[in-house]
Amino acid sequence: MIGIPTALLLGSILLLLLLFVAMRGSGNARKLSSGSDLPLLDDQAALDPCPPEFVARIFSSEDWKFVAKAKSPQLENLFRRERKLVALLWVHQTSTAIRRIMREHTQATRQSHDLHFATETKLVLLYAELMLLCGMLFLAIQSAGPQRVRGLAVYADALSQRLAQAQLDFQTVTVGPKLHSAGSS
Amino acid sequence: MLTQVIWWSSIALESLLLFRGFRGKLVSRYPAFYFYISFVLVQDLVCFAINRLSHGADDYSYAYWTAEFLCVLVSCGIVLEIYRVGLAAYPGTARMARRLLALVFAIVLVKAIVNVAIDPHWWTQASATAVAGTLRAIQGVAVVALVALFLFYSIPFGKNLRGIVMGYGLLVCWSVVCLAFGAFGGQKLNHLFAFLYSAFYPIFLIVWLVPLWTYQTNPLPTPTVPLELKYQRVAATTQRRLQDARGYLAKAVGS
Repeated sequence: MIGIPTALLLGSILLLLLLFVAMRGSGNARKLSSGSDLPLLDDQAALDPCPPEFVARIFSSEDWKFVAKAKSPQLENLFRRERKLVALLWVHQTSTAIRRIMREHTQATRQSHDLHFATETKLVLLYAELMLLCGMLFLAIQSAGPQRVRGLAVYADALSQRLAQAQLDFQTVTVGPKLHSAGSS
Repeated sequence: MLTQVIWWSSIALESLLLFRGFRGKLVSRYPAFYFYISFVLVQDLVCFAINRLSHGADDYSYAYWTAEFLCVLVSCGIVLEIYRVGLAAYPGTARMARRLLALVFAIVLVKAIVNVAIDPHWWTQASATAVAGTLRAIQGVAVVALVALFLFYSIPFGKNLRGIVMGYGLLVCWSVVCLAFGAFGGQKLNHLFAFLYSAFYPIFLIVWLVPLWTYQTNPLPTPTVPLELKYQRVAATTQRRLQDARGYLAKAVGS
């Protein structure tokens, strides 16, 4: 027998999912499924719309020190505001890129016969963790500013490396047997 | 008076749904769903007759809860039908769904065993409302798992299947909430939620009726290159792009 809180939680989750189903019309879904072929194989798909030299300085303290030397509160405020906006934009772009990578992965693998449950689960969990981290980064930058979230960013980096490793494992699992059979024949 | 309106509107809508199902040859494509609708129609007619002919409220209550319990069991077929029809063209995702549903049922089974071990008399003391609520909750978890999988893998729903999923999901959602409140509340609350449960049923029937008015095929994916070849190329591209994303984060962190 389930309790009232469990029933309400289950009902809310179900309702939310149904809302997503209703929002995603059949026409939109068809567009998504047919449009999946082109960008997946497109190596030119832009992943870094933010220039690398910008990215490298978002969490850096060099610029802060430089601005602090001017001893102008107005300039410091302006810099803080601008840097926060850049940092938020970067987090948004990074999370969009990760979401896109995962979406394209799922669109490609959904028709595959040899989908590996454990690897997929691992990827999903890592993806969820990475997205949660991006959300936390976003909130932390909003509330504390980009300088104070360096520690979280270090963890995000480690996690994204694990996601890439999981993807590599996934490729080894699916490509490996094929190579092995090709070698034995 | 209101009860009569709900009753007759439900019977009329179920009949219309069945009529359209036979007319549009949807019955052969969604047999479990139409079997469920037929079952509910028979249940409504039988319960209506018992309500009219019997003099004691206990007869009706017994008949209603027996039929309701069977109805919940029959509706489990709809979950399997959503899986069967929706994932027919996606063998990999279908395998994922099988594993996921097996995992869900294993967790539910373990929880049930633990509950029975803690309170061995639960099964004998539980009311019909509580048992129906538990079964509906299991269906709810299965639907959540299945719909989440559909959304995650961007599996397109056809108009008909989306209608079945929407109506069934709403029905299960509403049933879980009503039956939980009914089981835990007093006699008055139980009657109120039993009434609300029935009162909303015609709405779910309308949610089914509109998309199931005519048959529409489920959108099928059209692979342009052999699947495995495509998959390898996609996996390689995905890996490269994930490494780019990682580099992106590393550049910011390493500064």
